[in-house]
Amino acid sequence: MILGIETSCDETAAAVITQEGAIRSSVVSSQADLHARYGGVVPEVASRRHLELVVPVVRAALAEGEATLDDVELVAVTAGPGLIGALLVGVAAAKALAWSRRLPLAAVDHLQGHVASLYLEPDPLEPPFVCLLASGGHTLLLDVRDRSARPRVLGSTLDDAAGEAFDKGARLLGLGYPGGAAVDRLAREGDPDAYAFPVARVPGLDFSFSGLKTSLLYAVRELDADEVEPRRADLAASYQRAIVRALVERTREAAASVRAERIAVVGGVAANSELRAALPDAALAPLPLCTDNAAMIASAARFTGAISYPRYLALDAYASSA
Amino acid sequence: MLILAFDTATEVATSALVSDGEVVGERVSRASTLLEDVDALLRQGGAHPSGIDALAVGVGPGSFTGVRVGLATARGLALALGVPVAGVSTLASLAAGAPGALPVIDARRREVFVLQDGEPRVLSPAAVEVAAGVVCVGNGAVRYRGMLEEAGAVIPPDGDERHLPRARFHAALAGEFGLAEAVEPLYLRLPDADTTVAR
Ligand SMILES: [Zn+2]
Repeated sequence: MILGIETSCDETAAAVITQEGAIRSSVVSSQADLHARYGGVVPEVASRRHLELVVPVVRAALAEGEATLDDVELVAVTAGPGLIGALLVGVAAAKALAWSRRLPLAAVDHLQGHVASLYLEPDPLEPPFVCLLASGGHTLLLDVRDRSARPRVLGSTLDDAAGEAFDKGARLLGLGYPGGAAVDRLAREGDPDAYAFPVARVPGLDFSFSGLKTSLLYAVRELDADEVEPRRADLAASYQRAIVRALVERTREAAASVRAERIAVVGGVAANSELRAALPDAALAPLPLCTDNAAMIASAARFTGAISYPRYLALDAYASSA
Repeated sequence: MLILAFDTATEVATSALVSDGEVVGERVSRASTLLEDVDALLRQGGAHPSGIDALAVGVGPGSFTGVRVGLATARGLALALGVPVAGVSTLASLAAGAPGALPVIDARRREVFVLQDGEPRVLSPAAVEVAAGVVCVGNGAVRYRGMLEEAGAVIPPDGDERHLPRARFHAALAGEFGLAEAVEPLYLRLPDADTTVAR
């Protein structure tokens, strides 16, 4: 049994999976409500909450997985990238759990964790494939050749992440935080062709979403206050269409550039219904595993290697991959 | 009774293993290597983690991140070992290590944490009341040495061990041992959400 722990941003999560990749439990305690009033994640607020939740979440994952610590053979924890103060809570707790029982510890890269959400039962994906990782913090195109090696980055965002673009758009439309799901819901009632929001074409396989947000801002400003409400669904639908189109085009280009036959999508934005519909042939992370969770961290640990006792005792978290 | 004590609220991590009131060993390093120290202390004492009876952990005040690393470690150990935990004020440990002295911990943003009338407070260093000849200890005393000495305080040399919240005193001060999750961090400051809200 593998115990996974994830605290890199605003979800405190723990999971129990088997060595074969079957999920026994995956507990996620989201802090979204806590951060909503600030309109985004406040690192110090997130870190305080992680400390309150990390042990209760581990307890819940063990209970739901009908396991005890005696069944755990490996502890897996997100070591980075993410909010450093948030990561340190999970890393400290994971090291303490592993040390107490002389268990090995896997220090998992959060991004490899997202990719490894595709390797879980009941439908594990076999590389090679090109993976779009799109979330509030990341927009990456990855060339995944095997499960254990760090994938090559084919493209990334030059400014905002795709999930960030959704959040900022939602704020301009008065939809609150987090905004991805709210834009998705509202867009279903709107006309995606009502507005032509241009997405910047940058060279290579990179993305740029900051101009899109500005276009939306101008479109909203041009309307009188009483005109915004009736056009909100059209604005949301057109805005979402522009983001999804950019993601889909670049992902297909990336796949062609490395002659990959399969495309996969992971990360919070992979839950977007229009994106899912636009890539009918893609392997998509199961909905509960799109946003941050610990099952994907435990899954990655199966392939990226564990550190044996006592070599992990000086392990530190890292904020960025660079 | 074998007590493992540690404190990571300041820029150093202190740890101690105390058996029936006798200090088996003490170490000083950084928060990221706290468990290396703990591991070494246990080997030094010929003990296994399962031999630990209770934990004493520094709850701050100090660096928010440091306080959390200490408490997350304590809670993880308590869960895995099934042992109770006592929280000990980092200021109280400093005070215990230097009887009669005023403990002063750096609170960043040009403020310090001090014990005033027995209560932990956050103050500007200029507002700390020091009677002439009073000894000040802690990383705040070292940082604001000039200001405090001018006010009449006596500050031991920078390397003096009285500036460290040594974990042997956490073990000695530990009162009630109880549930790890009931041991709360002593932040003394709200998160400054207004200045850190994402753009
Ligand atoms: Zn993520």
